[in-house]
Formats: sequence, structure tokens, C-alpha cells
Amino acid sequence: MKIIVNLTRVAMNVAGAILLQGCVTAKIDEMTYNRPEAGVGASSVVLLGRRHASDYDTEKDFVQCVRQHIQRRDETIGIIQEEAFLDELYPWFEPRTAPMHPSAIKELLGQPAVANKLKELDAQYMIWIDGNTERVDAAGSMTCGVGPTGAGCFGFGTWSDASNYEAVIWDFSNLAEVGRINTSTSGQSYMPAVVIPIPIIAPVQGTACEGIGEQLLQFLSASY
Amino acid sequence: MLDSTTIVSQMAQLRGVLLLCLALLMSGCGANQVVVQSQFPTPVLDPLPAKVGVFFSEEFKTHTFVDDPEEKTERSWVVETGAAQVTLWQSILTHLFEQVVYLDALPETGDDVQEPAESTPSQPQVDAILIPTIADLQYAIPAQTNSKVYEIWLKYDVILNNPDMSPISEWSMTAYGKTPEAFMLGAQEAVEAAAVVALRDAGANFAVNFPRVPAVRTWLQENRISAEPVSSGGTP
Repeated sequence: MKIIVNLTRVAMNVAGAILLQGCVTAKIDEMTYNRPEAGVGASSVVLLGRRHASDYDTEKDFVQCVRQHIQRRDETIGIIQEEAFLDELYPWFEPRTAPMHPSAIKELLGQPAVANKLKELDAQYMIWIDGNTERVDAAGSMTCGVGPTGAGCFGFGTWSDASNYEAVIWDFSNLAEVGRINTSTSGQSYMPAVVIPIPIIAPVQGTACEGIGEQLLQFLSASY
Repeated sequence: MLDSTTIVSQMAQLRGVLLLCLALLMSGCGANQVVVQSQFPTPVLDPLPAKVGVFFSEEFKTHTFVDDPEEKTERSWVVETGAAQVTLWQSILTHLFEQVVYLDALPETGDDVQEPAESTPSQPQVDAILIPTIADLQYAIPAQTNSKVYEIWLKYDVILNNPDMSPISEWSMTAYGKTPEAFMLGAQEAVEAAAVVALRDAGANFAVNFPRVPAVRTWLQENRISAEPVSSGGTP
């Protein structure tokens, strides 16, 4: 009976540890103006990642995470998928050719083929997300082994990640920048292992995604 | 006691296992073979009102990059880009110019002609002849650079000649593609993905910058072919 009670306690402790998450510190700066009071309506929004830097690319899954966050909370906001938009407007939004400031859009619209395609897509806002998540520190060691009686790991690992993203909002109707949202997050993850490794992960990128997604939602949605 | 049938059966099983082990070992010795295959998006371009002849050499159409390892422990790389190059350039050129004629051979220049006119191929009825060639391909994988990306660099030499093969312009153009190291993405798939990004970049670079090449710009103006280059990029 005592063995069963102990096993239950161990199992509960393990489950509790699995549910644990590492701590994340987040800072969000927002500066927006000319917010659409009635939301974007039937128009659509383009959400794109910047990939022109030599040392990093804005992750495609981060852009997708922000899009999904906005659309989960307000289904009425139409967001054009990044890859579809890049293909529809090839070769004008590739890393080499993408406009870096809103005035460049005006020059692009000088080309009938590009102007027609953008009109067809009915995009009112273009949002550029620039940044990435990187591992800034890691320490510890872990050893795993397999023997005739079973397998197991022993050790301790820890690492810290940091995210820095900036979303810049361009308004197509007046070809101007109407907002910037910046988010910086950092967090420490741990993985102690006594037979079973127990990851305690700090959701650094996820927190940045939620932070930037929430601010964009407030800008784009009439319901928030 | 084992009878002869059992022994034969066990020998056959053992041979099978040995062959399987040998096949596994051999698979680790072969080259990393990458055949770049991709469909490229239709370019959104306003075609220039010109009829251009395009010549893809056999070397271009079957372009293959081979890199032999410096050490015996490494595997060599074979990256075939020829088919994808042709697909990309055809897609770009047919949208960049109003008319494109693909040439099987280049017309001979005045210097090449040994005999009078009957043996000289007739000049194609085009405004200019475009000849893209691949000058170089380089790659980098995480195992070589300790970075977390697979990278491909391409360098092209582009020649634009008059129909009589007198030169209009010749310039070099680069393209770059990278793809991040990803869980469950093999090195070959990653190199192919980087090559596709590099090819897209090559197409974008050519389409956007062709009318900006000074000699090409002059040729376009002289032939009254409208070319209003659109600026892109710039400082944030």
C-alpha cells in the first residue's frame, strides 16, 4: 500500500514538473496612429517577415504564429498568407527587392502589372515583422545510457533565449507608416534529469508572438 | 541436430543480413546528390516591347556542380541545377519581353565566317540576343561553417548582343539563397531549398536590374523601348 502511495506521489510530482514553464520577461513598446476605428472591414492585411539581413532571417513560423494569433481572436480580419503573397507579387517582395520604406510602394504602383495585382488582393495594410529569437547562453551537461535493465539520463542543462521583434505597419491608402510595435523577451529554460529528463521550457518566442499579435489585434480589430 | 535444409535456410538468411549491412555501408559512401527541381511563380512584370533571342548553352541547360571532398571522411556533393535554371529563366524572360525566341545555335560573327554567305546561318529576326551563363556556384553547409544555415551562391555572366553578334553589353550578376538548419530536414533537402531561394533571387535580380544596366538602358532608349526602372530596397 505504501509503495502505491509513493508511486502516485512521484507520478504527480513528475506531471507537475512537466506542466512547469520557465519564466519569461517581456517588454512591449507600441506607437500607432490613424487606427481604423471600424477595423479593416472587407479589406485584407499582408503580414511579411524581413529577410534581407545577412546574419538572421525573421522566422516563417513566427510570422505564421502572429497571423494565427490575430485570426483566432478575430476571424473577420483577412490576412494573406506570406508565401502566397510573395508568389503573387514575384519578384517585387523578395529579400533583395522588397521595399524598405512606404514611398517605395508608390514607385511600385507605377507599374501597371504590380498595381493591378495589389488592387486585386485589396490589401489595406502591409505589416513587416523584423527580428528573430536566438540562444544567448547555455550551460550544464547530461549523460544518457542504455543498459540491460533499462535506460536513463542524469545531469542538468540550462539555456537562455532572447527574442527581439519589431512590427512596422504601412497603410496602403496613404502610403505611409502608421505604427511600430516592438517586443523584447528573454527567458531561462532548465532540464534536470534523474532517470527521466524533465524539460522546463521558457516560451520566449511564443510570448513574443502573443505580445506582438495582441497589439496588432488591437490596431486592426474593431472588437478590441 | 540440424538437417541440410535448415542449414541452407539459415545460410540464406545470413547472406541477406550481410547484403543489407553492405548496402547500408555503401549508402554512406556515395555522393550527396541534389537535383534542384522547382516550379517558380509567374513574374508580375510589364513586358518590354522587344523581340529577344535567347541562347542557353548545353553547359547551362545541364549545369551540374560537383565538389569532391578534401578529406576521405567527407562525402562529395553533386548539385544539378540545369533544369531548374532553364525553367526559371524561361519564366522570367517570357514575362520581361513581349517576344522571346529560343535559339538552337548562335549566329556566326563576321570573324568566324570562313566562306561566303551560303554557309553562314541567317541572322535571327530579333532585336537582340541574350546569353546567360553560370560562372560559379558555391555552397556552405553547417558542418563546414559552424553556422546554422545552408547557403548557395550563384554567379552569372550575362551577354546582350545585337543580332549580328556585335556586343551591346556584358555584365555579371550574383544570387544568394539560404535556408536555416531545421529538425527533420536532411542536408540534401536543405541544400535544394537554399538553391531554390538562390534561383528566385537570380530571377528577381535579373528582372529588376536588367533595364538599369547602363549599356542596356542606352540600347533600350535608342530602340525606343520604354524602360522605367522601379527602385526597390533602400534604407529603412
